[in-house]
Amino acid sequence: MSDQQKVKRVDSKKFARTSAYVFLISIVMLLVTACASYYQKNFDFNHEFERGDLQQALTSLEKNSKQEQGRARFLYMVNNGLLLSILGRYEESNEYFEKAFLFGEDYHINYLNEAASYFTNPSVTTYHGEDHEHLMVLYFKALNYLKLNQHEEALVECRRLSIRLNQLNDKYNAEEKYQRDAFVNTLMGIVYQSDQDYNNAFIAYRNAVEIYQNDYAKMFGMQVPEQLKYDLINTAYWTGFQDEATKYKEQFGMQDYEPVKPDAELVFFWHNGLGPVKNEWSINFVIDPVANNGVVFSNPELGLAFPFQLEEDDHKKQSDLKKLQVFRVAFPRYVERPAYYNTGSLELDGKTYALELGEDVNKVAFYSLKKRMMQEFSKGLLRAAMKKVAEQSVRKEDEALGAVLGLVNAMTEKADTRNWQTLPHSIYYTRVPLKEGANAVALTLKADEEHATTHNFTYQVKKGQTLFHTFSSLESTNAPYRYY
Amino acid sequence: MPKFLLVLSLVILASCSRTVTRVEPATVIDLSGRWNDTDSRTVADKMIYDLFDSQTFKDYAKQLGRKPVIVVGPIRNKTSEHIDADNYVKKFEMVIHNSAIAEIVESGDFRDKLRTERTEQQDFASSATAKQFGKEIGADLMLFGEMTSETDTNNRKRVVNYITTLFLTDIETSKRIWYGQDEIKKLVKN
Repeated sequence: MSDQQKVKRVDSKKFARTSAYVFLISIVMLLVTACASYYQKNFDFNHEFERGDLQQALTSLEKNSKQEQGRARFLYMVNNGLLLSILGRYEESNEYFEKAFLFGEDYHINYLNEAASYFTNPSVTTYHGEDHEHLMVLYFKALNYLKLNQHEEALVECRRLSIRLNQLNDKYNAEEKYQRDAFVNTLMGIVYQSDQDYNNAFIAYRNAVEIYQNDYAKMFGMQVPEQLKYDLINTAYWTGFQDEATKYKEQFGMQDYEPVKPDAELVFFWHNGLGPVKNEWSINFVIDPVANNGVVFSNPELGLAFPFQLEEDDHKKQSDLKKLQVFRVAFPRYVERPAYYNTGSLELDGKTYALELGEDVNKVAFYSLKKRMMQEFSKGLLRAAMKKVAEQSVRKEDEALGAVLGLVNAMTEKADTRNWQTLPHSIYYTRVPLKEGANAVALTLKADEEHATTHNFTYQVKKGQTLFHTFSSLESTNAPYRYY
Repeated sequence: MPKFLLVLSLVILASCSRTVTRVEPATVIDLSGRWNDTDSRTVADKMIYDLFDSQTFKDYAKQLGRKPVIVVGPIRNKTSEHIDADNYVKKFEMVIHNSAIAEIVESGDFRDKLRTERTEQQDFASSATAKQFGKEIGADLMLFGEMTSETDTNNRKRVVNYITTLFLTDIETSKRIWYGQDEIKKLVKN
């Protein structure tokens, strides 16, 4: 080999190394700005929404319209949908919710991004949405149609909900996972009932009662709402299922109750507070080599231990892993935004109708993440291990470059903190019988005995009509956010 | 490493494409184990066969001296699934209509719409073309039905037995003329 050739080779090696440095440093620069959580990144919008400045929040969203093509496009669509719904722009709201629904239908995993996420962090993947978020899309969409008095369209959303619930039910084999939604079944019953399809309403209510009694009681400590009991008996009776009506009257201790059809009805939904926000937390893990080519990632303080088995011919990887000792892994966790109000009721002609808890969105979110935490741990550890192995391999070739990669790895270590943050903390509902004509209804929300607020509404209603109203109170307490 | 990349690329290629295939409507495809199009078709075929073979129905038609007129009444669903009975009842009606063993008159919402139209014709259509009141054909028989299901589950296994019952009842005498029942039992293993 001639000297000239040798010089050329050294030059090209130098060039490659310099390029690698430039590339890695650019990534570092990029990541320094990108290490905020999803909530912090959208702070303006979140802050405006939380303080109830909805027009300004909408303007902030519109300014970021390029997010509609981005990796968190699902969240952009649902935030728009929800905000426009609160603002009473139901048709526009449903355009966004429809896009979000189709996104969920057509979504497929991009394995290239998935693979990339193991060398960086999960935010390089497209956010798919949590199970309950996809159900909530259809819940809001159905409500928008009901408010627009478009029952046929609301029924379409009901059928979609039924399919989604079946898919959710089939998705998990393990027991005690959130795989059935009592409130969504209740909503389906309400929609069918408003269409005088009492038979389907009865089926939906009966499924809802069963889920409240068996799943929700255990998972979220919830009871069957009283309103649901009445609705179940009413629809059994109106379908002609006398035996079932009698059976449920006895079961609920309501033997004296006789169903009466009012002139008209109001179904009132109260969206209380704001749902939880995803944040990240980090755990330090230690690697212990064990017999048969295995390694164990453990954190004795938290009692966590995850064994990994390496292939026989993976000696190199194993020896690299054994050198790692301690490293940090970031995981997502929810942070609750406790709702300011605790109870709500409606009053009409001196009679009070309590708003009852139908869905604790906050608890559903926490529970779902808790149940898949093992999966999150495994993913996080695999990610950390792959990054570290890559770093060790580079260090062998070039110590400085390896150190830069180590820095990049540390800075890119980040959990996926994306979630639908404009959802309510919890949903309450009740049904109020109305008389034909004008009805003055007062809504009272209470934080405690001394702090209450009242809103007055007048509903004009025709005979046989069912009106739908949602009221959103976005207030959260000033108490420190609760972690679980 | 190259082996790993090759597998990864294959996975990416295999997972990025969605395929849609048109299949014959009669093809049996069971995915979730819940009630599906095959069940609707099975019920319709079985019930029609039962009705055509029914001696009591033939005797009733013979005694009447003309084709009986049927109106479709409520088909109640007591299962835990939202099953649209129209899926098989419409098939059932169509075969009855085409086989000319009975006449079918409209029921429910559709009949109400016809009556509204007839009422409006009295005001807005020419007297020569406005349809008259009191000329509807009164049904002789009403078709009722009920769907029930029994479910037994243990761990990842589920047995569901769907029972569909249809019956034709004489509107004048309340006598049951025909009774058909079909059971579909499914074992689902997850």
